[in-house]
Amino acid sequence: MGHTESIFRLDNVSRQFGELIALNDISFEAAQNEYISLLGPSGSGKTTLLRVMAGFEKPDTGRIHFLGQDITDLPAHKRGIGFVFQNFALFPHLSVFENIAFGLRNGIEDVAGTEIDTRVRDMVGLVGLEGLEDRVPDQISGGQKQRVALARTLVMQPKLVLLDEPLGALDANLRSRMQTELRHIRERLDVTFLHVTGSETEALAMGDTVAVLDQGRIIQSGTPEQIHDTPASSDVALFLNRFNLFDGTLSDNTFRGPFGSAPVQNARHNDTDVYAIRYDRTKAFRKGDALPGPALPARYLASEYLGSSVISFFETADHKQVEVDHHLSFGDPGEYEVGQDYILSWDPEHAIVFGREAAA
Amino acid sequence: MDSKLLKPVLAVYVAAFILFLYGPFIVLGILSFQQGPEGGPQFPIIEWSTYWYRHLFGLTPPSRIAPLPVGEALLRSLTLAFMTMVTATVLGVMAAQAFRRRFKGAGIVFYLIVLGMMVPGVLTGLGTSLLANNVVGVERHWWTTAFVAHVVYTFPFAFLVMLAILNRFDGSVEEAAWSLGVSPARTFRKVTFPLIFPGVLSAMLFAFTLSFDEFPRTLFASGRDQTLPLAIYGTFSVEIHPNIFAFGVMTTLFSFSLLAIYGILMGLSVRRAKKIAMQEDIS
Repeated sequence: MGHTESIFRLDNVSRQFGELIALNDISFEAAQNEYISLLGPSGSGKTTLLRVMAGFEKPDTGRIHFLGQDITDLPAHKRGIGFVFQNFALFPHLSVFENIAFGLRNGIEDVAGTEIDTRVRDMVGLVGLEGLEDRVPDQISGGQKQRVALARTLVMQPKLVLLDEPLGALDANLRSRMQTELRHIRERLDVTFLHVTGSETEALAMGDTVAVLDQGRIIQSGTPEQIHDTPASSDVALFLNRFNLFDGTLSDNTFRGPFGSAPVQNARHNDTDVYAIRYDRTKAFRKGDALPGPALPARYLASEYLGSSVISFFETADHKQVEVDHHLSFGDPGEYEVGQDYILSWDPEHAIVFGREAAA
Repeated sequence: MDSKLLKPVLAVYVAAFILFLYGPFIVLGILSFQQGPEGGPQFPIIEWSTYWYRHLFGLTPPSRIAPLPVGEALLRSLTLAFMTMVTATVLGVMAAQAFRRRFKGAGIVFYLIVLGMMVPGVLTGLGTSLLANNVVGVERHWWTTAFVAHVVYTFPFAFLVMLAILNRFDGSVEEAAWSLGVSPARTFRKVTFPLIFPGVLSAMLFAFTLSFDEFPRTLFASGRDQTLPLAIYGTFSVEIHPNIFAFGVMTTLFSFSLLAIYGILMGLSVRRAKKIAMQEDIS
């Protein structure tokens, strides 16, 4: 199956809860057989979007298409879309085996007992749950529950699986292992994953396509590289959590901010004027050093050692925190003294500037 | 408050509580072993005997004291309580299930249902009888008017129990079942019902016991065939003998054994859960 045919399409989908607008006129189309991650802060409407797609909730307006068919009015159990819950939602009264077999046994299609057996055993093997078939959900660990939830959904061979923060309930170690495994499992089956997450690292690491959701709107979608390197708005840059953002004014290709003024080659249209420079493009200098660009005086606060890099935190005169990410493959970081003043600078070519005066 | 004062006060309070709760039953229990057939329903015990228990089952030589007319009444009451239990629980589960979605007029419907346990019983009984006789044209029987009155009375209890249970019920397991292609009806049968079953059991127990010893509603609504509480009351109005006490002890033991079965069933499921939790901690 080609990547060109779309798996699902949302046309102007809106959903409102009282005063709260959860989904605001969302239109989105996704290619088949991909890993799509949907990044959004809490309250951005990402769970509502999944629930509307799964059929647990109806959109107020708009249509939902799945494999070329309008499913807006179809009840959840007739959609054939898998759903993996954040809390796993396993059936506590059934064994692991019966949890996985549940859809095959009780679904609309009549599946023969022997076929159920083989399909469940295959799935148990795929997700690595051998030996746990007779346990009940209370007798297995969080990571194992996650696998049961996944196996239970995948055994139905859906074309689309919606995952609602599936790694949120796991500890950090397990999370990174499940990240790899989820991608691996998806690649082996002909299935599209739509993975909702509030973690920018997870979204960028896992998605073939990343869509960014904010206040009920999809504000950007593209490959992880596109999102990371060319955020479409200052909000996207903010969610990515990799940019120092400075307020200021943009006029005549010059940005005036807390660092003085800097030349701007091209800017992206935005509701506010914001200057963004990546953490790892920002560098700290001593007074008197030659600077590659604008000068931003800041006081050193602390550092965090992350293994492959060191993040140093500085504070500007107006109490704004600025982060400097120094990758250790570029040599040792400088020694900074707590409370001392330094100059932060960067190559202005690397900056991404958003402004009202830029063309849309 | 000073704990030196608090403790004795609480002790007296608890003692009084226990006295009033169990005192009547203990007195009844003791007097049920009064000598018969001459011994009356008062202290002192002339001689300990099981005469009144044997009298109850017709195992004593005939005497001037007629056996309690409970045989048929007991059967009637058990049947009525069973019918009421099933109907009230089914209605209670369905109504509570409906309240999971905030439908229009939910508040009014809630109070209408709960009204059934608030309205004075005698009025309900009398009203039901009048309604049946004069408006609908149904004869009064324990299985018609009294049955309806019992359901109206016990339904709110079953409803409230189920409401509390479903309030804590996590609906995502149902959504998970739907997303696996399982219809809502089958999801209820295979997922929801097994999970709320302990609550259903509680609702059934409530409905059964409330119906079994219901008096004021049944008084007018039951027609000529009396239920057990009415039959027993009927014997009071002539003369009281310790055979009633013996019968009281028997029915209480019966209720206790029902409760014990319920307790064991609940205990088993709780212990299973605890055992699993302990295994979790160890591993």
